[in-house]
Amino acid sequence: MFDSLSLLIGQGESGNAVLITFLIYIVAVFVIAGLSNKLLQGRNFLSEYFLGSRGLGVWAFALTLAATSSSGGSFMGFPAKIYSHGWVLALWIGSYMVVPICVMGLLGKRINQVARTSGAITIPDVLRDRFNNATFGLISVALIIFFMTFNLVAQFKAGSEILRTLLGPIEAFNSVVQSLPSWFADFSSESTDYTFCLMVFGIAVIVYTTYGGFHAVVWTDVMQGIVMVVGVVIMLPLAINQASNAIDPGESTKTGMALVTEEMGKMLPPRYLTLVIESTEALEADVSIAQGTWLSSQGFALYGDSDRIFRTTKRYILEKRSGVAVVEAIEIISDNDRQRSWRALEAQNAAKTETAADLGKLKVRRVLNKASLHIPEGYPVAIEDISLQPGLLLPFEGKDGKQRIAMLYSILTPKEKRTPGAPLDIFLFQIQYTEGRILETELAGYAEQIQEAPSLADLKIADFDEGFYAHGASEDQRGAYLTAPGPHRTEANGFLPLSLAISFFFMWAISGTGQPSNMVRLMAFKDTLTLRRSIFTVAIYYTLIYIPLVVIFCCARVLLPGMEAEADRIMPQMAVTLTSNIGMGWLAGLLIAAPFAAVMSTVDSFLLMISSALVRDIYQRNMNPNATEDKIKKLSYFFTLVVGLGALVGAMYPPEFLQDIIVYTGSGLAAAFLAPVVFALYWPRSNHQGCIAAMLGGFGTHLAMYCIGFLNGDGFTPYRLFGTDPIILGLVASFIVGYVVTINMPPPVDAIVKKYFYKKVEE
Amino acid sequence: MMNTDSEQNSVDFEESWDAYELDPTFVNSRREAIVIFISWFVAMCWAVPYCYFNGYNIADPADIPTTFGIPSWVVWGIGAPWIAADLFTTWFCFRFMQDDDLGVAGDEEYLAHNTGGVE
Repeated sequence: MFDSLSLLIGQGESGNAVLITFLIYIVAVFVIAGLSNKLLQGRNFLSEYFLGSRGLGVWAFALTLAATSSSGGSFMGFPAKIYSHGWVLALWIGSYMVVPICVMGLLGKRINQVARTSGAITIPDVLRDRFNNATFGLISVALIIFFMTFNLVAQFKAGSEILRTLLGPIEAFNSVVQSLPSWFADFSSESTDYTFCLMVFGIAVIVYTTYGGFHAVVWTDVMQGIVMVVGVVIMLPLAINQASNAIDPGESTKTGMALVTEEMGKMLPPRYLTLVIESTEALEADVSIAQGTWLSSQGFALYGDSDRIFRTTKRYILEKRSGVAVVEAIEIISDNDRQRSWRALEAQNAAKTETAADLGKLKVRRVLNKASLHIPEGYPVAIEDISLQPGLLLPFEGKDGKQRIAMLYSILTPKEKRTPGAPLDIFLFQIQYTEGRILETELAGYAEQIQEAPSLADLKIADFDEGFYAHGASEDQRGAYLTAPGPHRTEANGFLPLSLAISFFFMWAISGTGQPSNMVRLMAFKDTLTLRRSIFTVAIYYTLIYIPLVVIFCCARVLLPGMEAEADRIMPQMAVTLTSNIGMGWLAGLLIAAPFAAVMSTVDSFLLMISSALVRDIYQRNMNPNATEDKIKKLSYFFTLVVGLGALVGAMYPPEFLQDIIVYTGSGLAAAFLAPVVFALYWPRSNHQGCIAAMLGGFGTHLAMYCIGFLNGDGFTPYRLFGTDPIILGLVASFIVGYVVTINMPPPVDAIVKKYFYKKVEE
Repeated sequence: MMNTDSEQNSVDFEESWDAYELDPTFVNSRREAIVIFISWFVAMCWAVPYCYFNGYNIADPADIPTTFGIPSWVVWGIGAPWIAADLFTTWFCFRFMQDDDLGVAGDEEYLAHNTGGVE
C-alpha cells in the first residue's frame, strides 16, 4: 500500500524539482510573447494585437477557445466540487458533451462573416456596425468592462492562490517570503505569501499579454491547453491505481475503480465544529497551526470517545502564554476515512520539522457548537447583568427528542449588540454522551442554578448547529457521494436538485455561447474548414478532460481524506501526492501548471477584452477616429498595462466571494449578450432598439435575482425562481423583451439588411 | 489610420431587391444553428431525465449498481450520451456543415498588401 498520506506533510521533498519544472513553463510563456511581438511588425496593429489578423488555424483556434472557456474553475473549483459532492458532478458538468458544438457552431460561422463584412475587431464593434448605432456599441462596452473587471480581479486572486499552493511547501519560497521587508505586508489585506504570489502571477501575465497581444495569448493558450490535457491523462491511471491500493479491501472482491466507488459508498460527510485545544506540555514559543492540521483527542475521553480526529479549517497561532486556542475544524466521521486520517496524523507528527514536535503536544479538550440563546423581551434583569458566565447550564431537547443539557462556553455577540428580545450567538458544549447518572447530576445542578436565579429558566436555546451536513449526513443517506443530488453542508435538498441540474445544462452550453470572450475568438478563425475541424478537436479535448477529472477527484476522496475545508487545494495536492508516490515529484510541476495555465489563459483573454474595449470601442470609434497607428499602438500597450495593474491592485484586497463573483459575471454576460447577438446575426428584421432592450432586459433581470437574494439576507446567493439559476430567467427575459420591442419598432433600413443578409445575384 | 471596413463587401443600396438573394453563408449558418440547438435539447432530454430516474432518490445509495467501476446511472446517463454527442459532432463537422465564403475584411486586404498574401 502506498504511504501517500505522509505526503500531506512531506510534499516539500520534491519541491525543487517542482519549482524547476514550473519555472521552465513560465520561461516558455515569455519566449512565446517575444515571438508574438515580432508578428506585430508590418501588420495592421489593431487587428493583429486584438484579433490575430483573423488568421487562426485549427490547433490555435481550438485550444485557445478550449483553454479560455475552461478557466481556473475547471482545474480548481471543479475538482473541489467533485471532492466535496462526489459522482453527481458528472451530471453537473454533463452539458459539456455539447458545449463545443454549441459554443463554436451556433454563432461561429455567422459572427466571423459579419465581423469581416463590417471590419469589426471587438464584439461591441460588431453590434455597433451591424445596426449602425454608436449608442449600442457604448452600452455593450460598458457591460463588458463592468463584468470583466470584477471577473479579472477574482481570476487574479485565483492565480495567486494556485501559485501559493504550488510554492507553499518549497523551502526556498518560504525563505524568500520571510526575507521580504515588513512594509511588503502592508500592500495587501492578505498574508505576505499571498501578496508575493500575486505579484509574480500578475506581473507575468501582464507583461506577456501587453507585449505579445492576441497571438501571445493564443499561443500560450495552445501550450496551456496541451499542458492541461496531458496533466489529466497522466493523472487518471495514477489516481485509480493509487486509490484502490490505499483501500483495505477486507472481504470485497472488487478491484480498481469499482473498489474506490464501493469505498465512497461507505463514506459520510464530515462534521463542522469548533475545538478548544491545549498543549499538554509547556511551549517554548508560539505555535503556528496551519490550515489543514490534524488534531485528535489522543486518548482523552471526549464525551465518551477517545479516538476522535479533526482537521483545522483555518490558520491559527497558539500562544505560548495561554497554551490554549479555539479553532474551527472538521471532524472525520466515517470509520474508513478515520483509519486513513489517523495515519495522516501520525505522519504529520512524525515529520522532521520544528512545528511537528509542537503539534504532537496538542490535544482537543472540548468540542463546541454554535447556537442562539433566546432572551425574552421583558427579561427581568438588564442583559449585561445576567450571569451569563461560562459554565451556565442550559437544557434543551435533542433532534431525537431526548432531554439533553449543554454548558455555555462563551458569548459571540459583541456586548454593544446585546439587546433583550434579540438572540445571542453563543458557543456551548453538550454533555450529550453523559446519560443516565451523569445526566441526573447535571439536571440537579441546573435545578440548583434556577433556584438561585429563577429568571435563568426563561433562557432558551435555539438554532443549535450540530455541524452535520444538511444533506448526506444521516445514516440512511450513507452513500450520498455515489448518487444525486449529492451531499451538501447547508442545502437540505442536496448539492444538485433537479431544477439546478436543468439550469446547468443551460449554463454551460448556452451561457458559454453567450460569452463575449468566446465570441471574439470566433471572429479570429481563418475559414470554415478551420471551424469544422476545431469543433471536432475541442469535442475530443473536453471528453479527455472532464470525465477523467470526475474519476480522478472521486479517487481523491480516498487518497486525501479531510480536505473539505480546503477543497480548492485538492488539485495541486493530488498532483503532488500522485507523482511523489511514483518517485516523479518533478512531474507535479507540470500537473500543477495545468490549473495555473487555465487561470492564465482566462486572465490574458479578459485583459485584452477590456483594453480593446477602451482603445478600439471608446477611444478610436468615439473620440478620435483619425488617431494614427502609432498612437493606437501606444494606447493599446498602455491600457493593457493599466488594466492589468488595476486588477492586480484590486486582488490585493480581494473580494470575499471569489467563486460567486466568477459565476455571477459569467452568467450575467451571457444573459446580456446572447439574445442581442443571436438577433443581430440571424434575424434580418432585428433593430437596434430591440437588441438594446434585449441586452438591458437580460442584464437587469439577472441582476435583479441577485439583488432579491441579497435583500432576503442570502448574501451573494441569488434568488432562484422555481429553484432555477438566474441565467435561465435572464435569458428568457432577454429574448422575450428583445422580440417584443423589435416588432413594435420600425424595421431596419434596407441597406443594412442587404449588407448583412443578402448578396447580389450573380449574372 | 487605415479603414478596417471592407470595400469588397459593400452593396449598392439603391438597387432593387430583385438583384439580391439571401446570402448562402447566412442560410447555411441558420440551418446548422437549428440542428445544433436541437442536438443540445436532445442531449438534455437524454441526460437529465435518465439521471433523475436512476441517480436520484435511491433507497440504498451504498449498494448502487456499477458499470466499469462507475455508478451505472453516470455511465448510461452521462457517459453514453457523451460518446453519442461526440459521434454526432464528428458527423456534423465532416458531413453536414458546409464550407462557406466568409468574405475578406479590410484589415486582411491591408495584411495581404503588406506581406504579399493573407496568412
